[in-house]
Amino acid sequence: MAKSYDAIVVGSGACGGWAAMQLSEAGMKVLLLEAGSYVNPAREFHHTFLYQMDYRGQGKPGFLRRYSGTARNYRIMIDNQENPYTTAPDTTYRWGRSRCLGGRTLHWARASDRMADYEFKAASRDGYGMDWAVSYADMSPYYSRVERFIGVSAAREGFPQFPDGEFLPVMPLNCAEAIFTAAAKSLGWPTTHRRLAQLTKLHNNRPPCHYCGNCVNGCDVGAMFSTVSATLPVAVRTGNLELRTDSVVAQVRMNSENRAQGVTYIERYTMKPVDVDGKYVILAGSTLENTRLLLLSAKGGLANSSGTLGHYMMDQVGGGGVFGFLPQLKGGPSRLDDGKSAGITIPNMVNFDKKTARKDFIRGYVMNATGGQSEYPIFADRLPGYGSEWKKEVKTRYVAQARVWIAGGEMLARKENFVELDPEVKDHWGIPVIKIHFTHCDNDRKLLAHFQQTAEEFFRKAGGEVMPMVRRSAPTGFPDSGPNRATEDSGPSRGASHEGRRDTIGGSIHEVGTARMSVSPKDGVLNSFCQTHDIANLYVFGGNAFPSTGDKHPTLTMLALTARGCDHLLEQAKGKNV
Amino acid sequence: MSHTRRELLDLLVRAAALPAGAEFLATWLQAGQAHRHSAAPPQPPLLRNYQPKFFDSADFEALQSFTEILIPTDDTPGAREAYCAHFIDFLLNSADEVPALQKHWRQAMAALKQAGFHAADRNGRAALIEAMSKPERDPSAHHPAYFVYQLVKRENTFAFYTSRSGMIDTLDYKGNTYNAFFPACTHPEHHRI
Repeated sequence: MAKSYDAIVVGSGACGGWAAMQLSEAGMKVLLLEAGSYVNPAREFHHTFLYQMDYRGQGKPGFLRRYSGTARNYRIMIDNQENPYTTAPDTTYRWGRSRCLGGRTLHWARASDRMADYEFKAASRDGYGMDWAVSYADMSPYYSRVERFIGVSAAREGFPQFPDGEFLPVMPLNCAEAIFTAAAKSLGWPTTHRRLAQLTKLHNNRPPCHYCGNCVNGCDVGAMFSTVSATLPVAVRTGNLELRTDSVVAQVRMNSENRAQGVTYIERYTMKPVDVDGKYVILAGSTLENTRLLLLSAKGGLANSSGTLGHYMMDQVGGGGVFGFLPQLKGGPSRLDDGKSAGITIPNMVNFDKKTARKDFIRGYVMNATGGQSEYPIFADRLPGYGSEWKKEVKTRYVAQARVWIAGGEMLARKENFVELDPEVKDHWGIPVIKIHFTHCDNDRKLLAHFQQTAEEFFRKAGGEVMPMVRRSAPTGFPDSGPNRATEDSGPSRGASHEGRRDTIGGSIHEVGTARMSVSPKDGVLNSFCQTHDIANLYVFGGNAFPSTGDKHPTLTMLALTARGCDHLLEQAKGKNV
Repeated sequence: MSHTRRELLDLLVRAAALPAGAEFLATWLQAGQAHRHSAAPPQPPLLRNYQPKFFDSADFEALQSFTEILIPTDDTPGAREAYCAHFIDFLLNSADEVPALQKHWRQAMAALKQAGFHAADRNGRAALIEAMSKPERDPSAHHPAYFVYQLVKRENTFAFYTSRSGMIDTLDYKGNTYNAFFPACTHPEHHRI
């Protein structure tokens, strides 16, 4: 007989960890299922210099081909061989994933920006797509709750397009960031510190950042927000949480009363299927994994009376950017410039009100900039010359490196961008994988082109010298300040393309949509609380609910939606003997 | 970011309970002292004791010479101290799963030999590298062994700047350490355009 819980949470990333914490704190008996393995920060996360590793972080040639990530962090990424996905012939999309306790919270970029009301109501403003079923006023208290818990280092600025929140003190600017800030101000542009879930003081039993710059390899002290450092310890302390790792959920099981009965998972190593029951089932894996589970759980997809399940997939527009050097810094002393792995933000400057409306494209984007020394001088092998003079030039420029990149560019939601189950390919456990159909439209390209033009103007204003051969190649969350040599293909599954994210338009590991929220059940899969319209005890937390990407990084909004959805779930459960 | 005495005491208690708390505390607190030594550990002895396995002795000697001309020892260490040629041999010897990489290097060394590099003395080799590298500076120029120059330069640059000699002794990289504070820019000239 299946063991029964008040709530089953599938996935232990940002949303799964939060849901497990909130529900177990409220007294629910919660089962948290994670497909990947347990992560022990003491064993996995430590400061390692490249030269301490035999292959300098690249792994034995060929070894990392099956993994995403580097030798430092592949264990907190994913095994592509066990977990393949496929793409349509015209699709160049790289799906960045993790399968481990904590998921992507272990190596995320920590960007924690509130979406503004103009993003929730984008369709009403410009007529494209669908508004969110929530407004900024609905979300604001939940943003605050999340910020108070996770700890966000940021400055209050009063920019209407970049709402302030409840912040910890900022991290200081390094020299390159100070120069970029001055450049932005001289252009009359808004600018602020990057808003990061990275502690600058003791906060909720977690120590402050020690500025090692190792964020994407896993924080050894929990100064950056992750499930492992923040939400899971609270959930465990309640005594109401049961955690099962290496448990690959294969489907949601339904009962005869149109309610989710529970889930079936497969034990990762024994391959044994296990049924567990729950009064509530919460899918809180990554966006596309949540949708995959809904597609796997019923013919035509579970909770799909609207026919929109799998559709309107988006990922914020990435690509382009400027790399070069700030002459003001050339030849200066080496400083701990990359210790906070941060930067500055230029909030969106287009299409957020009548004054900033453009005729050539809709929606907006956010830029980031930083510079200074880094672990590896990525430009060095492209700098002409050799010998002592070349060495001196590398050192002179090393401390003057600078880059501007797109933090989040809004990609339009289109029905023809969708995921489905691949009829032929299965994963290691015999579960059908998803096939991704994903292309960009002219608006996406025009937005990126505008960013590129603006970024170059910004770089020049700061006095920067552009090095055209080197562009920032890795999306946020992947190691971009280390050596990114292409001696081997360490990345994507069949059909996906590395090049799609290098010099052309690409994604940002901010995949959202595919089970969007809607006021009417005819238009989407979820309501404003991320409860499925069709099945009362089935919730989906993650990026699935997004009807549009907005121009902010999505994680803070996903967490706020989760907190709001859990409040709703607990309200629903009141008096129902859970 | 400064902390109050109360916060620091609180931190001591809480951090001690963390995984590897004692190590963290010791280094974190030391980092706040004004006089701080480099926290970078020494390079493991792997390459110091390594005997070439991928290249024969003639090719290895040529490669070593090439790497040392590209990154010479001067007032800072060079490819010799960083064992760059050893690293390249080690990497290629481990690349059984990437035969294309091994083949490419075999072809490159054959082309280098054909260009006369192996037989040349140091001055001759320097002159040959100068000629090989010309297309880098002059896109209209051609040299049949330019691809060898590019390949060795790329791999040598990687080997050097990921070694302790390159990363710490030459570039003075400060990261990957425990620090009590992040150093703010204090240069007035950087705060105005």
